[in-house]
Amino acid sequence: MPGTRNGGFNSIRHVVALAALLAFPMIASAHIGQGDIGGGFISGIAHPVFGLDHVVAMVAVGIWGAQLGAPAIWALPVTFPLVMAFGGVLGGLGIPIPGIEIGIAVSAIVLGGMILFAARPPLWVAAVLVGIFAIFHGYAHGAELPDSANAIAYAVGFVVATGTLHALGILIGVANRWRRGAQALRAGGALIAAVGVYFLSAHAIG
Amino acid sequence: MSRHFRQAAGRAACVAATLLPAAAAHAHSAAKGIGDFYAGALHPLTSLEHLLAFLAFGILAGQQGQKAEPVLAAFCLALLIGATASLWMPGLPWLALVNIGSSVAFGGLIAAARPLPQPFFYALAVLFGFSHGFANGEGMAEGGKPYLFIPGIALAGLVVTAYGLITTDWLLRRKAGWIRIAVRVAGSWIAAIGILVLAVAGRTLSG
Repeated sequence: MPGTRNGGFNSIRHVVALAALLAFPMIASAHIGQGDIGGGFISGIAHPVFGLDHVVAMVAVGIWGAQLGAPAIWALPVTFPLVMAFGGVLGGLGIPIPGIEIGIAVSAIVLGGMILFAARPPLWVAAVLVGIFAIFHGYAHGAELPDSANAIAYAVGFVVATGTLHALGILIGVANRWRRGAQALRAGGALIAAVGVYFLSAHAIG
Repeated sequence: MSRHFRQAAGRAACVAATLLPAAAAHAHSAAKGIGDFYAGALHPLTSLEHLLAFLAFGILAGQQGQKAEPVLAAFCLALLIGATASLWMPGLPWLALVNIGSSVAFGGLIAAARPLPQPFFYALAVLFGFSHGFANGEGMAEGGKPYLFIPGIALAGLVVTAYGLITTDWLLRRKAGWIRIAVRVAGSWIAAIGILVLAVAGRTLSG
């Protein structure tokens, strides 16, 4: 297809199509055989989506990646799920890491700040920063993984939801191509940091 | 050679795909006596731990290019052998972990997107083909006909992996650069799913 490389709207359409494509077979298979697959899948989807602190941080990762541009924007969606799954193992095995909830709130503040100031640290600094946050988020989810037979359906829903939140952030980040859009993104960064401050103070107060 | 294989695999996949839903519906009436074949085919297709790994193997094969096609055949052969072996050999309680591990391995290799040494690729295919075949063979109901059930498993494996190969191969022939990344992201998701499931299994095993 000519023109897909540089067409902003085309790539948006492709990302949406891809997300739909990736989600669809899972939904379809939910109706075949074992009845509990659907329930596991839905709760897996719901878990990351209904925690505002997670949603904000995942979307922020996508937006910051879009601000940073290539190669960060491509390295991010490939490595993040793997690092997060590693954190999930630590959480699932109950290996103690102190201050997880505070770490998650701080991640929203730091990522929001990076977007607000359109910070461009070296790639490895960004990777380490995002990697640490990925472990925090994965840990929190892993500690809450259900002990049920449909663990696979849960994990599928969980990873699809997380990846879709990244894709959403990257989609929003497309606005960075235009001057007004870039300004709007930075304002959004301030909002994300504010949500982080809210969660941090909520934990600090009790 | 490989072109023929691809065409043949594609044709087999199409035929099987059109036959399967109808056949499954008729298994109890029109095609008396061969219900075990469909039971065998549906066994891996209705269990995510097998379906995910088959799909991942197909995507990996598509990503590796032409040299992957005989490896795909080896995978399906190993499915047959593994399922046959399960008729005589006692079950292994940790085999499910190996099968989840195959999703982690295949997904991780897709995410890495590096050309694999052919012997290593064959070894992966045979090892995990055998383990998936074995686990599916164990799923046969008491009194089932293994000479129908086991080919059903292998055919389902061929259909899913061939679908993965053909789709990935077709996608990677497109010009857009983001497709290569999207395939790697899919691999990363598959590996992450496998790792999370292993975490749950590990917690269950460690008490």
